[in-house]
Amino acid sequence: MKLEPIDDFERDLRQSLERRPAPPGLKRKVMERRSWLRTQRLQSRSVIWQRLAASVVLAGALCGGWMWHERQEQRKGEEARREVLTALRITGHALNEMKAQLAAHHSPNQE
Amino acid sequence: MNNRIIAFVLGVVGLSATVLAQTSPLPLPPPVEKELAARASNVTEVTLGKNMLAFASKFMNGKDEDEAATRKLIDGLDGIYVRDYEFDKEGQFSMDEIEQLRKYFETSEWTSIVHERERKSGETTDVMVKLVNGESHGMFVLTVEPKELTIVLILGPIKMEDLGKLHNIGGLSALNEVAKMPGVKDKEKTKDKTKVKTGDNE
Amino acid sequence: MAHDWQPDFEQLVDEHQSMVFSLAARMTGDRGLAEEIAQDVFLELDRNLGKMESAAHVSFWLRRVAMSRSADAMRRRRVRCTDMWIEIEEGHGATTEDKDSPMGARLEQLLATLPEPQRAALILRYQEDLTPEEIAATLDAPLATVKSQLQRGLKLLRHKAQSHLKEYLRVKEQANEA
Repeated sequence: MKLEPIDDFERDLRQSLERRPAPPGLKRKVMERRSWLRTQRLQSRSVIWQRLAASVVLAGALCGGWMWHERQEQRKGEEARREVLTALRITGHALNEMKAQLAAHHSPNQE
Repeated sequence: MNNRIIAFVLGVVGLSATVLAQTSPLPLPPPVEKELAARASNVTEVTLGKNMLAFASKFMNGKDEDEAATRKLIDGLDGIYVRDYEFDKEGQFSMDEIEQLRKYFETSEWTSIVHERERKSGETTDVMVKLVNGESHGMFVLTVEPKELTIVLILGPIKMEDLGKLHNIGGLSALNEVAKMPGVKDKEKTKDKTKVKTGDNE
Repeated sequence: MAHDWQPDFEQLVDEHQSMVFSLAARMTGDRGLAEEIAQDVFLELDRNLGKMESAAHVSFWLRRVAMSRSADAMRRRRVRCTDMWIEIEEGHGATTEDKDSPMGARLEQLLATLPEPQRAALILRYQEDLTPEEIAATLDAPLATVKSQLQRGLKLLRHKAQSHLKEYLRVKEQANEA
């Protein structure tokens, strides 16, 4: 909305303050910088995505590694348990044998 | 300078060996075992230290009566050392080799409670217990048949009656009889007396 | 974008670069600085393009940001009001109208010597033809303050013009006689 100036002074002032043309290269510079900044932003986003992807892969590898470790632990535990039971079974067998030998050695027939 | 380095290295090695010995009371396999194993057609060797026994204990099924009893048994043990060698035919080992085995495990801490020899059949039985301050801290069993040889070494505070409770593991009930044997029985009586004096070391 | 208006950035630069540059140049009195400010303002527009709802919104936003950045630039750098005077004397950036109307150039020069708040109010009033309410919204200042700045700025400028622009008075007399 244009307000009419009250007096000549204001009219002169308005005339003196008419918009100046922008420097010739202003638009070109703006467009060039804009293009450069957009490229930078895309590259930054790309880096962020790459880092995110790397983090996901690393997390996956760590998780997979942990799960593998857990499975290994389970397997080792089961193996250790079997070994204990084997050892006790063999112990039982040895003691049975001992018992038999003792019985045979001290049987009335032997005397 | 070089002598100092050598001395330092030897010291570290010696210290490591001492530390290892302390952390692993199970003995190293005697050399003769290797030869016996080489001739055997079937070899079973189990060596479980304290840490491994504790690890295995976690995987015992607490709901199973025997496994729960096994867990209780092995929880305080320092180690289990078991060897079982089966041979295709008789005469695959000599009595000298058996004697070597027995002497290797029989240190001053061990008390022999069974020492049976059957010359005709070649069968032998040795049972030793390790008593520390009057308490049972190990059991050694060596049984020899014409085609089979078994070594059992259990280290740690062990109650024969606990072993005997493992009903489904055949033969262990015989340990009740071992517990009743004169040598062990007398020593157990002594142990009870000293337990009152020294308190519970477990 | 939440609304239907789809602005073309390049077109907006074409349409408003004169306004933005002029605001920055008259506020700072430094043509080179004004060009830098204008570039920054348009790049900021590019970042905020999605928030623009209409052409009027863009105009308002550009004025506001241009004035704000000009004020920031002047706080950072000491700008001597006589710089613009030197540029005008050398004919740099002087328009055809300026060359034909030395009074206009002198007024512009005198405007640069006013205190910043009064200068800002007068530029928005007489360059952009904004009402006091619109000026208050652009500068984010109370309306009463803006009216006061306009009144005092105009009075001061008149006084300066009367004191220093003898040529202005002579021309006026000649015009009246004619």
